[in-house]
Amino acid sequence: MDYPEDLKYSSEHEWVAVDGTRARVGITDYAQDALGDVVFVSLPASGTAVTAGGTCAEVESTKSVSDIYAPVSGTIVDVNTALDDTPEQLNSDPYGSGWIFVVEMTDPGELDALLDAAGYRSLVEG
Amino acid sequence: MTTQRWLLVDDLDRSRDAAGQMAADLALLDATAADGTPRLRLYRWDPPALSLGRFQPDDDVDVDACTRLGVQVVRRPTGGRALLHGGDLTYAVTLPAGPAPNVDATYTYVAGALRAGLARLGVTAEIARHEGPAGAVCMATQQGADLRVGARKVCGSAQVQRGSAVLQHGSILLERLAFDETDLVAGGHDRAALHAATVTLAELGAPTDPRTVADAVVAGFASALDLDFTVVPTTLASTSRRG
Repeated sequence: MDYPEDLKYSSEHEWVAVDGTRARVGITDYAQDALGDVVFVSLPASGTAVTAGGTCAEVESTKSVSDIYAPVSGTIVDVNTALDDTPEQLNSDPYGSGWIFVVEMTDPGELDALLDAAGYRSLVEG
Repeated sequence: MTTQRWLLVDDLDRSRDAAGQMAADLALLDATAADGTPRLRLYRWDPPALSLGRFQPDDDVDVDACTRLGVQVVRRPTGGRALLHGGDLTYAVTLPAGPAPNVDATYTYVAGALRAGLARLGVTAEIARHEGPAGAVCMATQQGADLRVGARKVCGSAQVQRGSAVLQHGSILLERLAFDETDLVAGGHDRAALHAATVTLAELGAPTDPRTVADAVVAGFASALDLDFTVVPTTLASTSRRG
């Protein structure tokens, strides 16, 4: 299982890559493995305001629907529309081409509440 | 291993429309998310209904055919594809998700209980193999969520995880109605193929009386998962209970 050191993690299994005031978000390698084969991603619309911990997308895999949460508050400024046609990228490249959305953060201080790689590994591996 | 306490909602004799059944399942999910107590609900559908997966396209449904045959159409909160209810017994299980939920692990956990219930009816079922993405009709393909007898599907299930709880519900085929999904789903589907891919308890020579099957399912859960059920009416089971 892969836990890149340069990312932040939520306890709901999203990763966050920070670039200035923008946060790129996807689901972790653990999450994609636990979900199984992803067949559909319901993406948020650009311009949507999101609140940390709030639902902002959904994923279907193996007849199971799971919520995706916003790890930080702000406004969605970009979404990975390639997932409409190739949702399986969440499985094949969760930290790369399987990214889901980008948030323009209103409070970058919320990043301090997220886990580092070691903390997230401890959460999922016990 | 400590015996777990679950709540049991026996809704076999409680009438609801299709939307009401899905609302009742979601209320169960919310209650388990609130108090961490697992729940099992059993119910039937009258009139018959076609349930669609959470993201299944609307135009998969032949609305005129559903109207003509008196079939309600409802969207499930769970994944998967179109499933006709009326000749089935439906179960709904809600479980706390825990910090690291796993879709297949939940399916396998519940499947063990369902297999134990079917065994009490003389039916030996196995967990279905994964066949990849499904077509428009749920029962026409087998996925890891399903139970089969031989190569034929006898129970199809689906899940949704919201917050800190998981809802899994599914359909145990008791008997066939006079029509099936191929009459209700747009675009033309192969009735013979659907029948070849599925089997009912009636066709297996097992009991089909809903009360008998429900009692076997409850007993299967209790024995396979080491549970102690507390029977509650829906109104209580759908409200958070602590202690």
